[in-house]
Amino acid sequence: MSLTVSDLEACAREPIHIPGAIQPYGALLSLHPEDLSVAQASANLAGFIGEVVRPGERLPALLQPLSDRLAAWQATSEPTLQMRVAASDLQVTAHRSGGLIVVEVERNAADDTDGLLSRLRDFAQILSGQSDVEGSLTAAATFIENLTGFDRVLVYRFDRNWNGHVVAEAANGALPSYLDLRFPASDIPAQARALYASSRVRLIPDANYRPVPIEPALNPVTGEPLDLSLSQLRSVSPVHLEYMRNMGTASSMSVSIIIDGRLWGLVSCHSAAAKVVSNTLRDICDFVVQSLAMRVSALLHAVDAESRVALGRISSRLLASMSAGASWPRGLIQVEDDLLAQVRARGAVIVTEDDYLAVGMVPDEAHVRSLVDWLKENVSEDIYQTSSLARDFRAGEAFAAEASGMVAIRISELYPSWLIWFRPEVITTVNWGGDPHKVVREEGRIHPRRSFDAWREQVHLTAPEWSEAELSAARDLRGAIVGIVLRKAEELAELSGELQRSNKELEAFSYSVSHDLRAPFRHIVGFAQLLREREQALDEKSRHYLHNISDSALAAGRLVDDLLNFSQLGRTSIAIKEVDMNKLVAEVVKSVMINAEGRDIEWSIARLPSAQGDATLLRQVWFNLIDNAVKYTRPRAPAKIMIDGSLDGDIVKFSVSDNGVGFDMTYAGKLFGVFQRLQRAEDFEGTGIGLALVRRIVERHNGSITASGEVDKGATFVFALPTPERKGRAIA
Amino acid sequence: MPELRPILLVEDSPRDLELTLAALEKCQLANDIVIARDGAEAIDYLFGTGMHEGRPDGDPTVVLLDLKLPKVDGLEVLEKVKKHDKLRHIPIVMLTSSREEQDLVRSYELGVNAFVVKPVEFNEFFKAIQDLGVFWAILNEPPPGYKKS
Repeated sequence: MSLTVSDLEACAREPIHIPGAIQPYGALLSLHPEDLSVAQASANLAGFIGEVVRPGERLPALLQPLSDRLAAWQATSEPTLQMRVAASDLQVTAHRSGGLIVVEVERNAADDTDGLLSRLRDFAQILSGQSDVEGSLTAAATFIENLTGFDRVLVYRFDRNWNGHVVAEAANGALPSYLDLRFPASDIPAQARALYASSRVRLIPDANYRPVPIEPALNPVTGEPLDLSLSQLRSVSPVHLEYMRNMGTASSMSVSIIIDGRLWGLVSCHSAAAKVVSNTLRDICDFVVQSLAMRVSALLHAVDAESRVALGRISSRLLASMSAGASWPRGLIQVEDDLLAQVRARGAVIVTEDDYLAVGMVPDEAHVRSLVDWLKENVSEDIYQTSSLARDFRAGEAFAAEASGMVAIRISELYPSWLIWFRPEVITTVNWGGDPHKVVREEGRIHPRRSFDAWREQVHLTAPEWSEAELSAARDLRGAIVGIVLRKAEELAELSGELQRSNKELEAFSYSVSHDLRAPFRHIVGFAQLLREREQALDEKSRHYLHNISDSALAAGRLVDDLLNFSQLGRTSIAIKEVDMNKLVAEVVKSVMINAEGRDIEWSIARLPSAQGDATLLRQVWFNLIDNAVKYTRPRAPAKIMIDGSLDGDIVKFSVSDNGVGFDMTYAGKLFGVFQRLQRAEDFEGTGIGLALVRRIVERHNGSITASGEVDKGATFVFALPTPERKGRAIA
Repeated sequence: MPELRPILLVEDSPRDLELTLAALEKCQLANDIVIARDGAEAIDYLFGTGMHEGRPDGDPTVVLLDLKLPKVDGLEVLEKVKKHDKLRHIPIVMLTSSREEQDLVRSYELGVNAFVVKPVEFNEFFKAIQDLGVFWAILNEPPPGYKKS
């Protein structure tokens, strides 16, 4: 029968701090702090102090000598007060609870405390000689076993999920060994763990004891049962006693190991027979375990610090590579060993909007993508970690071999980008102290399990746990990446701001150029013309000069026009439509020929596929290319100009070839530059902007253009444009 | 003989003014040419205010308006005229030195009747001005109630 959620809740709800009874190895009374009169007393009190005490009566005679010290202690903030009653062998401990002073009385056992100091000194020396946690734990277990005479002393360590693991043991063989056994978290419910943390030592001398009631049951100050959280004599849960009996131990004592304020583990002592441990000895055990806790804490911190230093070194290398890389993912991947070492992973992937990068042992891409989708849906934190991915993500079973352990850090909310580390499945054998999946329930309440025989379980779909240091290294790296991403974004924003400013300035410049520079050229041309018309008697030379003036001004005016055209191209939006290239080319050829009347040109124009683009701009492309072909074939008779076009997958290509003067391929790279001319100005007119303009137009259409040529043989220009099937992508 | 309505030429550059007048002269239009040297003067003429207070009746048959003018620029003149109930029927041709997209867009938004970039080449320039003169002064049919020039 398996434990249900409601069973566990029932167990976890048991109010074990207010049992209303104590164990019979001592007696308890509660006092009103003002006059030390008795509020409550355990039914067995007379057996310890020799008189029956009733609520409301003054402090019993035997305890009277303690009243001054109780009064003095009350003024302090000391949590407990320990006293010995000189006239008897009674040991008294007092603490505060619910507005009352709780006094617990025990007999002083006749422990052998001779030589205790020298034994403690020896223990201190042994402990400080231990260089690792395991050795320290075993040394402490051995010392406590010797000191108390318990049959078996275990050191029990909690994991992250509060399962216990017996990591050290000292025993005389009277009870079975529990070394390396694990106990499920449900064995020690949360409220029991809370008591372990607040009161470190607890003793159950005899699991078969009969609880002694406290009378009256309610605290007269609060009207509620007396809170015994800090009481040593507190009666324990019947479930716990049954657990002990099932375990075959009649007596037990436990001392909490508190490290950095957290319950880290327990030293748990058992004997087959009933056994009382004196208050003094219990205090010594507490002292020993506290020393142990400090030692373990120091060792753990040293290990942690060492690994943090090592991880820090790795971190700084990762950072350097990231800052130097083209992008942070590229930078990280370049130092893949460090990337894996950062959290001791075996594989890692980086998934961003544009990148998918993987190193080491990782699931295949489709699996990783499904995992990322799952992360997007189910994980809201910036970091997610698991040592058994398949437990949270069922589909993960398919790739558990590579990815049972996973740490995923989210880099950006806006664009889903993740850095994910993986650890492979490690199949382990866990030795449980009994079958942890089996809990007995009878008569409407749950019982602890009866069998503590070692129960072996093969654990699948699990990787070694991620340590705190590794997780904090992952968090640190995330911080660094986010920092870099933000910095890059800021730099980009700044750059684009500057770009916008300089664009604005350029715009203003071209605007004023267009007005202020174009006008004087127009004036020069105009007045030269008026002069020519007016002065019919000009001699040949003067006419020639006048002609030169007009010509130069006209050329300069065209240059300004071309420049403006070119600069405007980057700013104006282009309207993409289907363009009939046959019509466009026919119209361009006609208009080019207006200025080339009388030329002997053989045209060969193929049937052209249509293209997507801005008709006006594409006309300009054809015009410039065809005009160039006509211009550079001027020395030929006949001139031959071929125009062709074809569809090549998701790209349309067009070409213009001629048998003109051509060009040297050495300069092919310069052909499309602004103001790059490969011909002498007196041979062929032009501003040197035409081809630059052509290239700019083609590139704004996400297309490309190339040129080939041979001196004195001719030239060919080919431009390619994407079809609608080729969405948005440029032609490289 | 019907009275001819004048052409209003708004131009600040003396050289452009001279060239434009030379061009208009060549088409031998009989219309008077009224010259305004900046936007403010053009508005005064059109609205019959300031130095043109009490000018003879008869709105211009066409306004040839340079875009870049001192004081009040061409676009402002255009806006004022096109917003005015009685004057908005007067055809306005914007003349400019450069084809700036934003000016073109703005002019058409404000209701310009034509937008001409002055060509650098003199013969083209001449032809453009002559065509404008002939078209707007002779060929164009004004709205009912307006005399043809």
